[in-house]
Amino acid sequence: MTFEPTISLDKVDDLPDSSPLISRYSQIYLKNDGEQILLILPTQAEINSDLPWSETWQELKHLLKTKEQSWQIGTNVCLVAKDRLLDARQLQTIAETLNDVQLSLSTVSTNRRQTAVAAATSGYSVQQNSAQPLVENQTDSGDVISPTLAEPLYLQSTVRSGVEIRHPGTIVIFGDLNPGGKAIAAGDILVWGRLRGIAHAGAQGNHQCRITALQMEFTQLRIADAVARAPKLRPRRLSPELAFMTIDGIRLADTSEFAKRYIFSSPKKAWVEKNQAK
Amino acid sequence: MSRIIVVTSGKGGVGKTTTTSNLGAALAKHNRSVALIDADFGLRNLDLLLGLEERVVYTAIDVLAGECRLAQALVKDKRLKGLVLLPAAQNRNKESVQPEQMKKIATALAKGYDYILIDCPAGIELGFRNAISAAEEALIVTTPEVAAVRDADRVIGLLEAEGVNKISLIVNRVKPLMVEENKMMSVEDVLELLGVPLIGVVPDDEKVIVATNRGEPLVLGDIESVPAKAYSNIARRLEGEKVPFLDLMANQGNILSRLRRMFGG
Repeated sequence: MTFEPTISLDKVDDLPDSSPLISRYSQIYLKNDGEQILLILPTQAEINSDLPWSETWQELKHLLKTKEQSWQIGTNVCLVAKDRLLDARQLQTIAETLNDVQLSLSTVSTNRRQTAVAAATSGYSVQQNSAQPLVENQTDSGDVISPTLAEPLYLQSTVRSGVEIRHPGTIVIFGDLNPGGKAIAAGDILVWGRLRGIAHAGAQGNHQCRITALQMEFTQLRIADAVARAPKLRPRRLSPELAFMTIDGIRLADTSEFAKRYIFSSPKKAWVEKNQAK
Repeated sequence: MSRIIVVTSGKGGVGKTTTTSNLGAALAKHNRSVALIDADFGLRNLDLLLGLEERVVYTAIDVLAGECRLAQALVKDKRLKGLVLLPAAQNRNKESVQPEQMKKIATALAKGYDYILIDCPAGIELGFRNAISAAEEALIVTTPEVAAVRDADRVIGLLEAEGVNKISLIVNRVKPLMVEENKMMSVEDVLELLGVPLIGVVPDDEKVIVATNRGEPLVLGDIESVPAKAYSNIARRLEGEKVPFLDLMANQGNILSRLRRMFGG
């Protein structure tokens, strides 16, 4: 499910230029919509390739396990399948997986005829449409950078090696971000634990986004199109730190110091020290 | 209540099979009935480590194909009452079995045995998914190396996604002297990263290799050796006993560093 848009032989030193801006989020996600919950699958175009069904299912299970259990037992779920082809067995698997966390699949919204037929045969109500009225512009804006961010994603677990969290908003991780794990957010990234993997904030190009963690032991930090690697030797700090964009690239500061000392300068697209801003 | 436990690691060569054979033997010594399942189809080793190779007649594949009954395929260990092995087929590969089939076998065995230990193959592909399909608990084996720990982390994530939440950690092949000199990750480093409860620490020891080659689990042969004690302690902890961890540092280092440790330095 990870894919790099370009393959290049660039040396690591050139990385600041070659960091990809993420404009697409392949992740499945859940959204509250009044009485029901929307379960939104990525479109065929968004996943960019034929992602095997088993991977999508794995991702769904992972999401349901780690997401904050903010729903009432037995809440109805509307599956927004968009242009994805789903057969009766896959629909059943989704329904069973939802059942495990006490949600029930009731509606399937799709713009593929075969999926609609499969859903109707299995006894779910079907909304067949060419447009997607249920989903707001942020999820299907395609290449256009969406003006508003999605509501924050709150994860109550450690992000382990091999897991990649992508979210078109802010990500809050109540746990560690382990080496080999990745968090990519259009907004800020907050890690209430140790940050040891890769974090990419402002992935749609917002230089104002910050990354903060109780303990910064990252492999790599990215903010918008800038990349910072961890120095070989870094004394272990005990206080929470915050990474942000300055004119000279990404910098770290004590979280408690940051608000006092820095202010965001829109023309410079970077955080500058307060006394210099005037 | 029987327990179905998968022994897994992600990375190869960290000691899954050695751990499975020793734990199986140690549990059997505690008068438990134990069935070991070799889930490493195509690269089976568990029979070798138990010294049961020449007694294998049928394999799990034969059971699934209906060529024999499950009880016929089980190889009984002569040395220990209550220890049996369900061998994997050597002439097939991992794609020849499906997760549901493995689950069927393990649940069938669970009716007759207290412990079902499943020896998982390396990797996270179908072989891994087969091995964990029936498991309710998992023992993660890792060595204090960056690559092994990274893979263990990945595997823990996958197990959690599959709903296997009772996960314990065995840190294998620890070299106390190297840890002392800061040349190796310590058990604490590993624990801090993985965040799962520790159930055992096994030191690196040549005796393990000797026992492996002889086809006799260490807990049956050289019971006084440190790794044998470590394994039988893990078995006791599985049984629910509170056993203090061995002090691997006890016989290491010179007199000075020992004194320093004594005074908490």
